[in-house]
Amino acid sequence: MIKTDVIIIGGGATGCGLARDFGLRGINCCLIEKDDFAAGATGACHGLLHSGGRYVVNDPEAAHECITENTILRRIGKKCVEETEGLFVRLPGDSKVYRDRFLKCCSEVGIVTTVLSPSKARELVPNLNPALEEAILVPDASVDPFRLCMLNAISAQKCGSEILIHHKVVEFIKEKGRLTGIKAQNQFTGEIKEVYGRVIVNATGAWGGKIAKLAGHDVPMSLSKGSLVITNHRLTNLVVNRLRPPSDGDIIVPNEAVCLAGTTSIACADPDEIGVEAREVDVVSHEATQMLPAFGQTRLIRTYTGVRPLLKGGGGDGRSISRGFQIINHGDGLYSILGGKLTTYRLMAEKMADTVMHEVFERDVACRTAELELEGQELLSGYPLSKRLKDLSDIVCECELVTRQDIEGVVQRIGTSYVGDIQHRTRLGMGPCQGGFCSYRAMGVIQEMGQTSVEDSMRSLKDFLQRRFKGVRPALWGDQLREEQLVENIYLSLLNMEQE
Amino acid sequence: MSTVSYDAVIVGGGLAGLTAALRLARSGRKVAVIAKGDPACCLSTGCIDILSGPSGALAALETLPAEHPYRLAGSAKLAEALNFFMETMSSAGLTYHGTATANRKIMTPIGTAKTTGLVPESMRAAWPVAGEPINLVSFTRLKDFFPSYIQARHSNVNLNVFDAGVTSTLAIATRLEEDAFRGHFIDWLASLKLPDGNLYLPAVLGLEEHATVLGEIKATVKREVCEIPTLPPSLPGQRLFRRLKRTLQEQGVDFYWGKEIASIERQKGGAIEAVTLKKSGRSARVEGRAFILASGAFVSGGLYAEQSGNVIETVFNLPAHAPHDRETWFKPGFFERGHGIEAAGVRVDEAFKPLETDYPNLWACGSVLAFSEITKHQCGHGLAIVTGYAAAKSCEEFLA
Repeated sequence: MIKTDVIIIGGGATGCGLARDFGLRGINCCLIEKDDFAAGATGACHGLLHSGGRYVVNDPEAAHECITENTILRRIGKKCVEETEGLFVRLPGDSKVYRDRFLKCCSEVGIVTTVLSPSKARELVPNLNPALEEAILVPDASVDPFRLCMLNAISAQKCGSEILIHHKVVEFIKEKGRLTGIKAQNQFTGEIKEVYGRVIVNATGAWGGKIAKLAGHDVPMSLSKGSLVITNHRLTNLVVNRLRPPSDGDIIVPNEAVCLAGTTSIACADPDEIGVEAREVDVVSHEATQMLPAFGQTRLIRTYTGVRPLLKGGGGDGRSISRGFQIINHGDGLYSILGGKLTTYRLMAEKMADTVMHEVFERDVACRTAELELEGQELLSGYPLSKRLKDLSDIVCECELVTRQDIEGVVQRIGTSYVGDIQHRTRLGMGPCQGGFCSYRAMGVIQEMGQTSVEDSMRSLKDFLQRRFKGVRPALWGDQLREEQLVENIYLSLLNMEQE
Repeated sequence: MSTVSYDAVIVGGGLAGLTAALRLARSGRKVAVIAKGDPACCLSTGCIDILSGPSGALAALETLPAEHPYRLAGSAKLAEALNFFMETMSSAGLTYHGTATANRKIMTPIGTAKTTGLVPESMRAAWPVAGEPINLVSFTRLKDFFPSYIQARHSNVNLNVFDAGVTSTLAIATRLEEDAFRGHFIDWLASLKLPDGNLYLPAVLGLEEHATVLGEIKATVKREVCEIPTLPPSLPGQRLFRRLKRTLQEQGVDFYWGKEIASIERQKGGAIEAVTLKKSGRSARVEGRAFILASGAFVSGGLYAEQSGNVIETVFNLPAHAPHDRETWFKPGFFERGHGIEAAGVRVDEAFKPLETDYPNLWACGSVLAFSEITKHQCGHGLAIVTGYAAAKSCEEFLA
């Protein structure tokens, strides 16, 4: 049994940010996440630290929040932000009227812009469509959502908070009409933990409705999935946006050695029952190819989809619904925080913590998350080649140069036996084969460390391979299909893993 | 441009193409093989999977759909082709064991049993009965081999680890071909005074000198020595390919290796007259009375799947069968067998001539054929041998 001040459900940016925020105000938390950090919409987005340009015409308030938070995150989270800058690209046929409004709104909101000629723009991004009319430089950046969550969680842990990943909330504990705790189930062992707290915050994004329902509340949400694809090359060093009203497939974000392109927007009912459809991949790759013609010849190594946790109200598609957020006090010890976006996660956490401090703890302690740097950044010295090459003979993942020691380090630090956890923390299996070769090896290393039985190893490996396949499957054609058949041959023919 | 003329030109240097070439060369034909590079066979376990099934491949044959290439060949040709292969390999110094009437089991790197048809000498031992002692040898830091998987599944494993100073299977195999190093390894093995039970180890026992390495180790440990095929690239697959290729060279077959076809010349009736090879400097023109397509499926590049949902046969642009909607190419489960895309390929008649096209002197064999479904039926190398043999036979009738 665990006793704490605040129980936070959800290990996305909002939940992790909230744990840090409370910690810095001297409040203890226990954060419960059913998967790994950033497993929901936090990790299933572009990883774009918005300048605000994307929203500036339709929602200046959201744009203002973006540029403010963008500046703060660059300062406090240097190791998880790559200061790429971004371009809004106008192609032949794109409205000049929209362009003028865009510049005017940016200037009103305080987003610094520079208009670039086609040749200047192509100096920055040589892969840009040569037919472009012009490009507008904005302070977009690329953010690593997983690292962002992890660093917030580390900060919270240093303040004495507890973090339980791979634990799913299965029941709320109710005493005299008030929710006083939760029961969380370990997703690997099935073991149940009871956690008690003075207040519970539901920060589960698209799962917000499901968690609220478990507590007996109805939360109106409008779910819309957005699908993205990952290329096997870094085709641009700057974020590339299409200069037009938000639409399908109009953002490409560089991230490490690859690019992330998307998205789509399709209404959906259940965040646990979503996947990428072939037609979504076709739309995204078609649109991305308009901006970067080389995109059309580039291998897509994976697809993924996230669910935008938007509030119900207003009509139209997922994009026209407000991206602002809302805090709901359910009146029985449970709060829900809904909506929002990755770029403004810190602000959301601040407002949520302000509310709880005021209403529950009746102490108004100032928020400090904007002034202090995220802790644990020394762990993320990046992945310099020199470090990766330190012992070539022990490389387990050849694509991302992850060594046996890297894997052993993660296993010792967090005690996991799941390949996915290793992947998130080391980039193992993020290259062209998507772990086809190295997940077997990584599991072997874990197995040799005596962390798991062979049955659990096989279950874990199968689960990883199935999740992997779900992401790979929608983009299987050409060379990626060739590679996939080789991987299939390893597990279904050579290893005969089905025998299990 | 230089022109060389042949009776038969084989496009593709994998197991299907090499089998077809050998069959034709044996009947005195002048044969050429054109290949882009080393085949997918080099990535394989080296075992001949004929057809999965509890009572052997032959018994399972009639459960296959009528359009499956095995059904087109028929059981008589299947048996004939496999005999041809066994005899060939035996005289090439890489003996295979097994029959089409009973499948066998070999040890995988995770300790499971893989079902297969024909196996090389180093995998011939029977599957260990429960509790049977297993002497397992591994190598320090060999990254594709984790003995604990096997220890966890088999109760009576005696593990010893040897430090070869190198960490890949190919590097260890190369060292084992050096007399001094091999002597050192064999002394170490002898010093272990192994208890009863066969000796298992990852497949590293030499490449070209495999027979010597295996023979000397067997003579020392006086028991069955069993290799466990590892992840691609795999030595037993490379041994098979190299032996077969050398046999063909000895038989006088010409190889155009590392070459792709740039253009195709056809006669008025549709027959292929010659192909021109992409080459730096002078290009080569290869003339043939007959052509056999053995270019493989997707992994080998004989077929190419487009984003639009089309599947292309990449050499002659023959009509290729494929499920049209990309959504139906793969089932949702990674461990589900029978993905739609597995049936893609060139449809042929019982003589292995491509359907719906007018090439009077072209045959096709191997995994480029439609309805092969190799992963589903576990019939990869068997299909290559049987259809390669059958296509060559039809081609031979044409040439005669």
